[in-house]
Amino acid sequence: MSNLATKAAPSRTGTATGHSKDGAATKGTRLVKRRSVTHKQVRAGWLLLTPALLHSTIFISVPTIAALFLSMTDYNFSGDWTWVGFDNFVELMGDQNFKTAFVNTVVYALVVVPISMGLALLIALGLNQKLRGMAFFRTAFYIPTVTATVAVATVWLWIYNPGAGLANGALSFFGFGPQPFLSSPDAALPSLMLVGIWQGLGAKMVIYLAALQGVSRELVEAADLDGANRWQVFKHVKWPALAPAQFFVLITSIVGTFQVYDLVYVMTKGGPGISTNVLVLDIYNDAFQGMRLGYASAETVIMILLISAFIIVGRKLQGADKSE
Amino acid sequence: MKKNALTVLAMSAGLALTLGACGSSSAADSSGGDPATATGSLRVMIPTYPLSNEGKAEFQKVVDDFNKTYPKMTIEPDFVTYDNMNEKISTSIASGSGYDVLVTGIGWIQPFAAKKVFKDLAEVGVTREDVSTNTVEAMLPAVTHDNKVYGYPLIADARAVAFRKSAFIEAGLDPEKPPTTMAQLKAAAEKLTKRDAAGTITRPGFDFWAASGAYRQVFTTFLASTGTPLFKDGKPNFNNEEGVETLEWMKSMVNNVQSFGQQNSAKKPLVYTNEAPMGMVGGAVDCSEKGIGQANCDDLSFFLLDNGAKAEFVGGDIASIGAKTKNSQAAWTFIESLTKPEANNAQAKLNSKIPATKTTAETGQAQSNPLSKFVAANLSHAAYEGGATNWLEVRKSFNSGLDEVLLGKRTAEEVLSSLAALSK
Repeated sequence: MSNLATKAAPSRTGTATGHSKDGAATKGTRLVKRRSVTHKQVRAGWLLLTPALLHSTIFISVPTIAALFLSMTDYNFSGDWTWVGFDNFVELMGDQNFKTAFVNTVVYALVVVPISMGLALLIALGLNQKLRGMAFFRTAFYIPTVTATVAVATVWLWIYNPGAGLANGALSFFGFGPQPFLSSPDAALPSLMLVGIWQGLGAKMVIYLAALQGVSRELVEAADLDGANRWQVFKHVKWPALAPAQFFVLITSIVGTFQVYDLVYVMTKGGPGISTNVLVLDIYNDAFQGMRLGYASAETVIMILLISAFIIVGRKLQGADKSE
Repeated sequence: MKKNALTVLAMSAGLALTLGACGSSSAADSSGGDPATATGSLRVMIPTYPLSNEGKAEFQKVVDDFNKTYPKMTIEPDFVTYDNMNEKISTSIASGSGYDVLVTGIGWIQPFAAKKVFKDLAEVGVTREDVSTNTVEAMLPAVTHDNKVYGYPLIADARAVAFRKSAFIEAGLDPEKPPTTMAQLKAAAEKLTKRDAAGTITRPGFDFWAASGAYRQVFTTFLASTGTPLFKDGKPNFNNEEGVETLEWMKSMVNNVQSFGQQNSAKKPLVYTNEAPMGMVGGAVDCSEKGIGQANCDDLSFFLLDNGAKAEFVGGDIASIGAKTKNSQAAWTFIESLTKPEANNAQAKLNSKIPATKTTAETGQAQSNPLSKFVAANLSHAAYEGGATNWLEVRKSFNSGLDEVLLGKRTAEEVLSSLAALSK
């Protein structure tokens, strides 16, 4: 870093050289000053970075190393534990609970992420118009995001209630019989996905809305003048401008959906059977109900790898460059 | 690979957070001297007292009683629920700050005793005879591991089957002769079930009082009524003809006399609110106007299943001493305060359970309502779950496995066989 600063210094101070006999000395003095300032800046930079580094070390690096380490032990909260190598990972490959949780989590992410992103974009486009009452609608769409998931899940439990729920009430109005939204193994996961999509709309919508409002008016007007229709304006002007927002929404959505837990815990606890078991719930159950922290850590390691893989694929699909 | 080398590696990597509990045994008892001068605090984890003003007031009475013996010691309570109990215990062990007194449930004793989380009560002078003499004798196996006592029963959560006499009469059934076998129960339940024109169940004929993922205790009860306890000498005893027949019978009931996982919003037995004419109930019913009312109470009658052996499911709250406590004598004194008749009765009332004392049938709580009177008189038929040292791990698989059978996703033989393999 200091080398780069040293190399860059002459070009910035070059105009001063050759205008006096003491030019070389002055240049040398300025270089020393520049180097001195640079060192101070470096120190200040590290100082400012320290809190974030400490936070990352304590709350990210150490737990990650701990999880990696524990995943190769049979630690179960008692005093005795042994090194088991990759045994936990081998056992996981035959664990039906884990396999179902893995598949459910991937399916949940594959369904919830694109649908919620698409819907959020549509809503953002709608809310980006200059119409009356827009503030109300923007707030209304954002409310589920700021509401505690437990409260959201409790409300949806009532909506899905097979006896007196709103959903079955609405269906019966149209002549349909009661549906076992959460008590059928086939319907439970899609029912949870619906709640997940609904709850995540607000946060994504706000990001898209902000990005849409940042689209250059001049470019839109120029496209209009050139005779572009609405679709063409969206496709060739707004959509490219949304790329950084898309990338951010994609990454946070992938991470968020892979970490789905509280919704499932409150609404189904992974049931009926294991039909809505997801990775974080399975990790929690193995760690704190089954008291197998080593085994649960192995699941965590796999989940980290899975999220990483999804993010890499997402970046490739979006053509993200290194700066993103 | 040897543990010690890895411990050093782990510690050097800053993993003390999770591995702090490894290693050393308990230090010398610091409360074993003169109680009047003993100082310090006791950490108590307890699900028995709710966080209401009434619950806190009753707990304070126990603390006051304890302080008569240990005036200079303080109590640090941690009021937990059964849902977050394992997290509390595991994280306390991992952080190295374990509890001195732990109140857990039936099914917890063997796993935690095997993990050396609980202290053998013989170390504070409590014997098997003490437990069987002073508490519900049928609960003795539930607090025993390797012939040692690791818990002292406080209150019992006993279950029975209740039915509405009026509904029986309306359906042409004799309320004086309630069904007791599974075949009789199914026939009566089918008669009592009401459906709409489309065939949808509008009033279940039998309420399992079980949500999705919670049929385990019902299965235990029905299985025990065939004379087959869930575990025998710590070994699985359900992967047999009786187990398969019981589970298949349950499957024949689900979505036939009650929708899978049906519960009301209060999660109370449907019989209390007349949403079902027959079903499983807990250990106490409030017959006052604040509860279901005297008229509803008078319409209820109770029985136990008997397919060869009467079976009354019993859960309950059990007090243990933490293996690493430095205050074991004080911890035992606190447990003694918890088991005083007045405290015991208050705990039972707060939790709609009954005291787990030898004389439970004579206690105020047991005499206060017909259901408690019934279950107290039948505690000798106690059937309970657990028994294996890995029960806490097996339990979650039990919940999901039973669901899969009841919903027709897997066969009873397949699930019980895999659960038995997991239990070994």
